[in-house]
Amino acid sequence: MKRNWTRRLIGGLSITSALFVFQACYGTLQDYGLDLLIEGQVKAGNTGLPIKGIKVSVVHNMQFEVTGEDGKFSLYTENVKDLLLEFQDIDAEQNGSFIKKDTTLNVVGRQVYVDIKMKEK
Amino acid sequence: MISSLKRFAFRRFKESETKVHELNYLFWECTTRCNLNCLHCGSDCSKDSEHTDMPLDDFLKAVDTIETKPENFTVVFTGGEPLLRTDLEQCGRELRKRGFKWSIVTNGYIYNEQRHISLLNAGIGAVTISLDGLRDSHNWLRNNKHSFEKAVNAIELAASSNRLFFDVVTCVNQRNFSELGQIRDLLISKNVKAWRLFTIVPIGRAAHHPDLLLTDSQFLGLMDFITEQRKSKAIDVKFSCEGYVGKYEPYVRDAYFFCRAGINIGSVLIDGSISACPNIDRAFSQGNIYRDNFYEIWKTRFQPFRNREWTKVGQCKSCKDYIDCQGNGFHNWHGTRENVLVCHNGMIERALNSMNA
Repeated sequence: MKRNWTRRLIGGLSITSALFVFQACYGTLQDYGLDLLIEGQVKAGNTGLPIKGIKVSVVHNMQFEVTGEDGKFSLYTENVKDLLLEFQDIDAEQNGSFIKKDTTLNVVGRQVYVDIKMKEK
Repeated sequence: MISSLKRFAFRRFKESETKVHELNYLFWECTTRCNLNCLHCGSDCSKDSEHTDMPLDDFLKAVDTIETKPENFTVVFTGGEPLLRTDLEQCGRELRKRGFKWSIVTNGYIYNEQRHISLLNAGIGAVTISLDGLRDSHNWLRNNKHSFEKAVNAIELAASSNRLFFDVVTCVNQRNFSELGQIRDLLISKNVKAWRLFTIVPIGRAAHHPDLLLTDSQFLGLMDFITEQRKSKAIDVKFSCEGYVGKYEPYVRDAYFFCRAGINIGSVLIDGSISACPNIDRAFSQGNIYRDNFYEIWKTRFQPFRNREWTKVGQCKSCKDYIDCQGNGFHNWHGTRENVLVCHNGMIERALNSMNA
């Protein structure tokens, strides 16, 4: 802790905020971003069984993932307030037919788990 | 006066950083396969690489030895072309589980919308895409007639994400030098916020193409171009950290020159070698993950990187700027190490002298 404090003091004396933000000549910028890990499972409301083939979309950007056999999904996305997720059955009758559902997440922290139950059509 | 104080403080800062040598930036040369055959490639990659991709588990065993992880610790996937690995997203997810951030350097050729989304889902945090000129000059350097449109498509996708830390890099050479203003305008029109310019070091395939290198007066022109662009702030333009540029130091980057290879930057190369930036002479490797504990090597070796007195040879021996330059970027020392490969400040001074002559 003391060592870090000293480093920042010496860095600060050279009057630039960029000292601790760097990239190698041929590398990327360092990732200082705060994102959010959303994990969850989609199940049928009437049977409680997991549903495969549900498209889970982050409404404010282009990200989505499709649930697998176990109905589970997992994605990192931009950490925004009141994040809106959309659940949509995209494989017609193949794994049953379910009504589209939206959910707004009030996120506290960097990770959230959502259990979603979808109604059959 | 203030300038001298800043330089003094920065020297002390470099000493302190070198002493602490906190690892927070790790290259992983995860493949040497590549879908392009660029004229300037520093790593001599090919479609039929002699190396197979490093298995993820082998890399994870190495990173699992790392005892302290700063919050911004970023693992940079490089190659070759990292997107050729179909398990890239799985690699990224495993790193995120362990508390590391991750990013890729790509030529953008196969970076499409589907891949963009799957990378974001897997927690990618930063992307660097190469654009080496307008259509003809980019395609020439990249040796592929479709590479420009593919790279621009990738740039549009990456620029559309608020999550990504994203920049474009351009290797400045004889063919694109006169296009820099147009490239800047193109990038601004694509909503690119950060643009990094570097020159080509005569290593790898570039050693056989001296026409790729800038003349002294062109290099001086590049410094002036970057200086001017940074005043306008239309896009965050900077010179890479490849070398020390003397009187231009305060104007072409956010901070003074500091080659952090082996000080904050490490690497795991395709054959398991432990080193710093992948473009550094591989004879400087400090160990190998297949026989050594990665983090022990990081903590206890890397002496040539952390004490660069050995670079006081050749033209560096009596250089008045050595205290700030310390032998230039580490990748400028190849082969016999009798002299630095490129002296950027020397190029500037020669160009200024010839202007004044």
